[in-house]
Amino acid sequence: MIISAHTKKTKRQEQIAKGFIWFFVIFTIIILAWIVLYVLFRGFYFRNEVNYDVNDMKEQQIILNEDVEPVVFIVHPGVRLDDLTMQELRTIYTKARKEKWGPYTQQDLRVETFVLPPGTAFTDTVNGFIEGPEEINKFATTAADPQSMIGKVSSTRGAIGYIPASAAEDIGKKVKIASIRRISAVVHPSVKEIVNNVQMQELTPEQLEDIFRGEIENWREVGGIDLPVRPILPPKSLPYSVIHEKILPDGFIPEEVRQTDTLEEFCEAIKTTPGAVGLCFYNNIIETGEGLHIEEIRRVESGMNLTIHYLIEAPARSGAWGGISTIIINTFFLILFTLLFSTPIGVLGAIYLVEYARQGRLVKILRLGTETLAGIPSIVFGLFGSIFFVNMLGLGIGFISATLTVTMMILPTIIRTTEEALKAVPISFREGSLALGATKLQTIARVVIPAASPGILTGIILAVGRTVGETAVLIYTLGSNYELVRGPSSSARVLSLHLYNMFAEAISFDRTFATGAILIFIVLLVNYSTTKMIGRMNRMAGK
Amino acid sequence: MEKNETKLKIKVDNLDLYYGDFQALKEVDMDIEENKVTALIGPSGCGKSTFIRTLNRMNDLIDDVTITGNITYDGTDIYGGYDVIELRKKIGMVFQKPNPFPMSVYDNVAYGPKTHGIKNKAQLDEIVERSLRGAALWEEIKDRLHKPALGISGGQQQRLCIARVLAVEPDVVLMDEPTSALDPISTSRIEDLIDDLKKNYTIVIVTHNMQQAGRISDSTSFFFEGVVIETGPTEEIFFNPRNKKTEDYISGRFG
Repeated sequence: MIISAHTKKTKRQEQIAKGFIWFFVIFTIIILAWIVLYVLFRGFYFRNEVNYDVNDMKEQQIILNEDVEPVVFIVHPGVRLDDLTMQELRTIYTKARKEKWGPYTQQDLRVETFVLPPGTAFTDTVNGFIEGPEEINKFATTAADPQSMIGKVSSTRGAIGYIPASAAEDIGKKVKIASIRRISAVVHPSVKEIVNNVQMQELTPEQLEDIFRGEIENWREVGGIDLPVRPILPPKSLPYSVIHEKILPDGFIPEEVRQTDTLEEFCEAIKTTPGAVGLCFYNNIIETGEGLHIEEIRRVESGMNLTIHYLIEAPARSGAWGGISTIIINTFFLILFTLLFSTPIGVLGAIYLVEYARQGRLVKILRLGTETLAGIPSIVFGLFGSIFFVNMLGLGIGFISATLTVTMMILPTIIRTTEEALKAVPISFREGSLALGATKLQTIARVVIPAASPGILTGIILAVGRTVGETAVLIYTLGSNYELVRGPSSSARVLSLHLYNMFAEAISFDRTFATGAILIFIVLLVNYSTTKMIGRMNRMAGK
Repeated sequence: MEKNETKLKIKVDNLDLYYGDFQALKEVDMDIEENKVTALIGPSGCGKSTFIRTLNRMNDLIDDVTITGNITYDGTDIYGGYDVIELRKKIGMVFQKPNPFPMSVYDNVAYGPKTHGIKNKAQLDEIVERSLRGAALWEEIKDRLHKPALGISGGQQQRLCIARVLAVEPDVVLMDEPTSALDPISTSRIEDLIDDLKKNYTIVIVTHNMQQAGRISDSTSFFFEGVVIETGPTEEIFFNPRNKKTEDYISGRFG
């Protein structure tokens, strides 16, 4: 078989062209997948590094001193709380106004504090622990005994209280135990000095552990200055046993770790030893360890970002707390009402243009007009809506102005796609119907529109897509109220607008991404169901 | 003598038709007799399709059409006194390409009656069955009445279109090259069907296929450049043409 030179050349060209096409296809797919997967990943999973004054060691049963039994803090099961730092606990109990759980759990839920009646050694010790230098505020409710405390906490939304460890054995699922974090790392001031433009930044819990195992011997190894590490263990008395237990679970203590017997001795040792580091309870340091430097600990917090709670709770504090339920509902309302206005007008307009209008110059101008409008940036529509509907018609910033403006915006899209769909219906369908003695209206209603409906539906879906993703128009016409839309003139917020606001106001990246993921899902859902619907329509028609 | 016995169904008198400035039909005269098959033959672009479409006023759909002359159906001028909807009910049409609507077989046949106000389910069922039987399709399709019409074969689709026309109980059935898109077997079934339909309907058929015209028609008209060159009983046209052009066309010398 002889292949001519020309054939070889053409074949080579085809190979090269194929290569290019494949390259661009793969490039496009990678970019698309990367964007979508990145947003979805950030939407579902969050990972933040947060600095705390305390280590991430949690205690469920808190030993306060040798004389009273350990205390357990309990919360209502509806409070999505895992652990609290000691400072947070004290704030909750002592702040002059009623706190909300928002800063700790992002729930828009009031904190209901409970205490046991004073007078017993246990209660006095615990109350002293939670009030610190302040006093327990007037909002705290007193429960008669541990059993009624469990009852009250389990029946009051947002409740927090405490019980002796012995009473905590049979609480079951009625209440949830909140762990407390109260172990701080203290260092000698020399550790934090700036030498040659180097200063030690916060430590991670793992680094702290390594220090007490003797694996880190110089502060240089954790980003600090050239200074030997001098670990000092807390006193051996009972409350501190938990630190010994947690920092060195196997009981191995390297020789260079210095042991102390009392709190005073511990503080003194830290103060006088350059390069010293030790672990102690936060309150002890605040009260007796004057002049000691509390080293911040960097904790990695990660988990599910987009939870069911985020979907079903109403937003609060500009979206920083709560969820996005009202915003999702607002979005669907906007879509619904926009379609209610735009679909009849658009479809009927297109029917007129295709079926009735004389195909002359006027129709050409109309067609050019709709095409131009379909391509105009939405911010221009926003400007128009804000001047015309909001100001000139005096509708104000609110739902009706936004609906009308978005209707204006998507109308050209619906008209154009419907026109194309109607034009694509073979003329033979119309002839067949007319030849049977049907009128023009009957022909359009019973043959042309059903045959064109997949195309018309596609146009409507494109319009829904634009509505869901629309932001620029809505900034000027819908406002930014994140509550449920109450009436035509009520300001509201939809998902895209919520995303924009949360990002612009730097409220929370995690929640912005979660909202973005929801947007992606809505678009995905709409597209999927439309594809299904169009497929079914086509099957019914036998295509 | 025989001619006097048959009744005249449609009479075309001095028909001129213009598309804008272009004259597509020139002084056409034609008599279409009841319960006969009239075939219109002629080369492409000769005006036979245009002519057949004037008979049920399908040319009304096109802008810029001017029609002069007279067409009477049962003695009434169809461009004068006759309502176009009533006319199209009486004079049905089957098109070149099968054009069933994108709905079920049943709905296709019931479309006409429904459009004309019949809502009774039992009555519709009866019409659908009768029409499909009339179009020799019932036995093949009775189990698939609710399947999409676009899913059946081309020949069946065309017979469905005939059934759809029969469902509105017409008087005249116009057929514009009904078999040109079909295979020989489907074609022969449609031809048999036309032979059957002749008993109850007057049929006008446009065809490119000379043998077909010869097989099925009672009278034939030869169109050329918008003019009816010759018209007469089929045998005469085929075996004893008076005009040279007719003879040339029929013997395949042009067209």
